[in-house]
This record gives sequence, C-alpha cells and structure tokens, in this order.
Amino acid sequence: MPVADLLIGGILLGGVYALMACGLNLIFGVMRVINFAHGDILAIAALSTVSIAVGLKLPFWVAIVAVPIGCAALGALIQAVILRRIEGAPMIMSLLATYALSTILVNIAILIWGGGYSGLPGVLSGSLRVLGVNVSISRLVSFASAISVSLVVWWVLEFTRFGRAVRSVSAAPELASISGIAIERVRLATFALGTAMAGFAGVLVAPAFAIDPQLGSRFIIKAFAVIIVGGMGSYPGAMLAALLLGVIEVVGSYFAGAVIGSAFLFLLMLAVLLVRPRGLLGAGVRV
Amino acid sequence: MKGINPLAVAVIAGLVALALPFVSSDYAVSFSIQLLIFLVLAYSWNWIGGYAGYTHFGQVGFFGIGAYVGSLLNFHWGVPWYLAAIAAAFAGAATAVPLGGGRMMKKGQFFAIGMFGLASVLEAFALGFDSITGGGTGIYLKPVSDLRPIYYVVATVAMIMLLMTWRLDNSRLGLKLLAIREDENAAESLGIPTTRLKIGAFVASAVAPAAMGSIYAVYLGFIDPPTAFAPNMELTTIAMVLLGGMGTVLGPLVGALALSVVNEVLWANYPQIYLACVGVIVLLAVLFMPRGIVSLGMKNGWLRIGRPLFRRLAVNAGQAPS
Repeated sequence: MPVADLLIGGILLGGVYALMACGLNLIFGVMRVINFAHGDILAIAALSTVSIAVGLKLPFWVAIVAVPIGCAALGALIQAVILRRIEGAPMIMSLLATYALSTILVNIAILIWGGGYSGLPGVLSGSLRVLGVNVSISRLVSFASAISVSLVVWWVLEFTRFGRAVRSVSAAPELASISGIAIERVRLATFALGTAMAGFAGVLVAPAFAIDPQLGSRFIIKAFAVIIVGGMGSYPGAMLAALLLGVIEVVGSYFAGAVIGSAFLFLLMLAVLLVRPRGLLGAGVRV
Repeated sequence: MKGINPLAVAVIAGLVALALPFVSSDYAVSFSIQLLIFLVLAYSWNWIGGYAGYTHFGQVGFFGIGAYVGSLLNFHWGVPWYLAAIAAAFAGAATAVPLGGGRMMKKGQFFAIGMFGLASVLEAFALGFDSITGGGTGIYLKPVSDLRPIYYVVATVAMIMLLMTWRLDNSRLGLKLLAIREDENAAESLGIPTTRLKIGAFVASAVAPAAMGSIYAVYLGFIDPPTAFAPNMELTTIAMVLLGGMGTVLGPLVGALALSVVNEVLWANYPQIYLACVGVIVLLAVLFMPRGIVSLGMKNGWLRIGRPLFRRLAVNAGQAPS
C-alpha cells in the first residue's frame, strides 16, 4: 500500500521540519532577522548528539537535555555579540552576518567531525505497525517529540506572560518598550529559544537520518520553503506547511528520485514567492 | 602629491594590463584571470546588492547556468568559447527575467530567501538530469592552449563593468537605486518606479556572471555541479564588495584586490579553513566597517586621487538611520 506508506513517511518527516521552521519563524517574527545559520545549528546539534551517545557512551537522554541547552547558549552568544550590534542597521547587514556565520559554523563542524556521514544506530531502533505500514520507532518518536515541543512553544507564546511580551515586541517594539518590557532581554530569550528549537530538532534528526556537516544547508532550504509556503511569521502556517511539504517531498522523491524530490519543495517555494509571497496563512510581513 | 591625475593612473593601469601576458609567467596570467572573473562578479553584485540594497545570495546560480550553457554548446556543437559566453549571458538574462518579474522582488527578505536556494536547486538539477549534464562526473572540455585571449576578454569585460558602474554612479539612475536602498517607500512616493528599477538591476546583474561562468569552464577545461555552483564563489564575491565598499565605484576593485591576495595565501596554506576565514572577514566588516575600505580611506584622506569618483559615496550604507 504505497499511498499510506508515503503519507505516513511524509508526515513524520514534516514533524522535524515543523520544529525547525517554528524556531526560524519565531526569530524572524520578533527580531526581523532571517537566521541563515539555523540549519547549521541543527547540524552541529545532531553531530554533538552522535558524539555524546557514541563517543562518550552516555545515554541518549543526556543529549536530549544537554544539546538544546548548549544551542541556546550558542544562540544567546550570537545575539549578544553580533546581532545586537546591528539591530538598527538595514536588513542587508543581518542577512550578511547570519550568512557568514553559517559558513563559519559549517567549517568548524567539518574541522571537528570531518566531512563524512555518521549516524546513531541502535538508539530507538525497531519498528511498529501503524495502519498496516511499518514505521521505524526513531521516526515516530522524533515526530511526536517535535510536534509536542512546537505545540508547547505555541502555547507559551499564546497564553503566558512571557509569550505576550514576545508578541508585543514582535508587533510594536517601541510601544512594548514604553509599556515597560525589556525588549533586549526578550530578544535575547527569543533568539536562545529559537536556536534551542533548532538544537532539539538536531537531536531528533540524529537517530533517524544520516548526518554530516553539510546537513544544515539541506535542511535550511526546506525550512525556508516551509515558512514561505506557510506564511512568514505565522506559527500555525508553519506547522501546517511543514506537514504538507514533508508529504510532497516524500511523494516527489518516490516518483522522481531523492535529488529531484527535494528540489520540488524549492520550486513550490519559488512559485509561492512569485505568486503569493505572504504564503498560505501569512498576514503579510510588516516592516 | 596633489598632481596625481586619475586619468594617468587609469592609462598606466591599462598599459600594465595590456602588457602583462607578454612579460609575466603563466601563473600570473592564470591568477589574473581568476582575479578578473571575481572582479566582474563583484561589480555585478554591487549593482543589485550595493546600489539597490537587495541582498543577493544567488549570483553563483547564474554563474553556474552560464557555465553549463557555455560548456554544453562548446562540447556538443563545438561552438567557440567566446560565442558560447555570449549565449551564456543571454541564458543568464533569460533566467533572471521571470524570477525578477514575480512578486518576490517586493521585499528584500523574500528576495534573499528565494535567491538563497536557487544555486543549490540548480545544482540538484545538474546532478539529477545526468543524461544532459553528465551528472556528478561533469563535462570535460578541450583544453585551451593559450590563456591570453581569455585574459584579454575577461579584462575587457571587467573594464566595461567598472566604466558602467562609474557612469551609473554619476547618473540619475544611480541616485534612484541608492534612494531605493535607503528608503524604498520614500523613493516610491517620489515617483521612482522602484519595482521596475529593481528588476532591471537584478537582470543586469545576472548577465555578466553567466558569461563569466562559461569562460571559467573553458579556463578550467572542466565543469561539474560543485564547481559551477560553489558556495565559496558566492561568499567570496560578497566579501569583496562588502570589504571594498557597497554601492561605490572603486569598492569592488579594492575589495577584490585585497581579498584575492588573502585568498591566494589561504588556499595555498590553509584550504581547510578557507570558508571560515572569509566568513570571519564578512562578519568583521559587517560589525566594524560596514561602509568598506573605500569610505574608510575617504574619511582618512588616503585616497586623494580620483576624489570625484567618491562623490556619490552613500552616506548611510550599513549605518543605523539616525
């Protein structure tokens, strides 16, 4: 039954895209910064997970806890040292800065881990039968965790004091500042949260995919496709588009081969950019 | 010191460029070709990135399209390399027109994201359609025995790019592009047809890189997807413009000269950290010198010669509006 097979495979893939794209969207929404290094943080997180589980022989849950925290620290550092200094500058500067950061991170990852592929065999191995389809447990777990973390972050944004602060900084920084919100602290926390989400996505990717330092550049394009199709800055749009694009990628790869299959996503993104840049659920981008 | 004439400097530079292939080694010619190709890429990027202020991460995509169009024409039908380069230039423009015609150019962030993925997707297609492009094996062209014609063609193109940028800088068109960069809404309200000018700058900036891609393939005698769509090509070009000074006439030239020396040293000695080093240069330039070497020299009075060239030096490039 290839249809159910492809559908389930695609939705499971979409879960990780959702987590990654939501982090990217969160950062863009609050800071108007497109983080080109987002994918490379994911790649470094995945490689660190392998190092922790295989190299140091620590249990997998250590990576689940430690890696996102490390990524949050890295994100806070990037925000404090680099992005904070160019907050008032034109968008071209932050684009160039995160783009440069991305190449630096890839290069460091190659120096540390080498250019080859690695993986995490034996963690969450085995498979389950769902709707008559064999589904590997690692993909099922990574899907469930990715979706639940995305939902939790959404809940935080919608219903907590911190979330209200984040949304008000996103909507009107000056008014937020007048109302007594420490916008610098909110931005720092947002960027750290966004990179931590990328880090967690990296941990989840490790057992399910073959990973290498170039993984980031492959994932970031898909995450871009997700936030463009879903609508930039729209959280539910990103989650919906992630699942949709996961299915499209899996179906496309099945019929046209893996290389062309992932290029489909980009063509879809280009089409959306050319015809309806605000995406499916986006309310348009305020600048 | 005051007596230095910009015209004299230009004439001397021109004579040196003319004589170079006859007095120097093959290595110097080969190095100069690479430098000049980067110079053309940098000047092209400067039009859309420097003047119009639209971050363009996809220029290497046009370079790669040109490389493949030129190589395929040359390989299958024996089209001479200079005609193939002209065809490649048309192919670059033909690709840019529909991309620029869409609504992507409305906002800088859409454009940046859209162009960012272009190169990697084209690379995927070059790998995937291996019956046409040879896939990962690439295409081997007949090696060129004499590099000098290539040198002269590339040098001429580079000179034309410089002259065109100089003309642009001293024209209303250049001012309109700078107005778009500084405040697009204000430019629009002054009656500047922003969308048309942006698309024009984008398409114009795609032509020369495509031609250079085709020539680069001939120069190497070989093309494969990682070479045609190399990310470090993109990063190096941007670093050159940023380092020299975005939206200036001499910025790309200064940046290309400065960075290609750095490149040569890095590639020769530390190829494994090349990308990180260029990345660090870009980052430092963004943080500490967003207006580039040229404006730094301008401020400190290093570059007295050719002062009129800096007349239109953008005042606010990379600075917080205050």
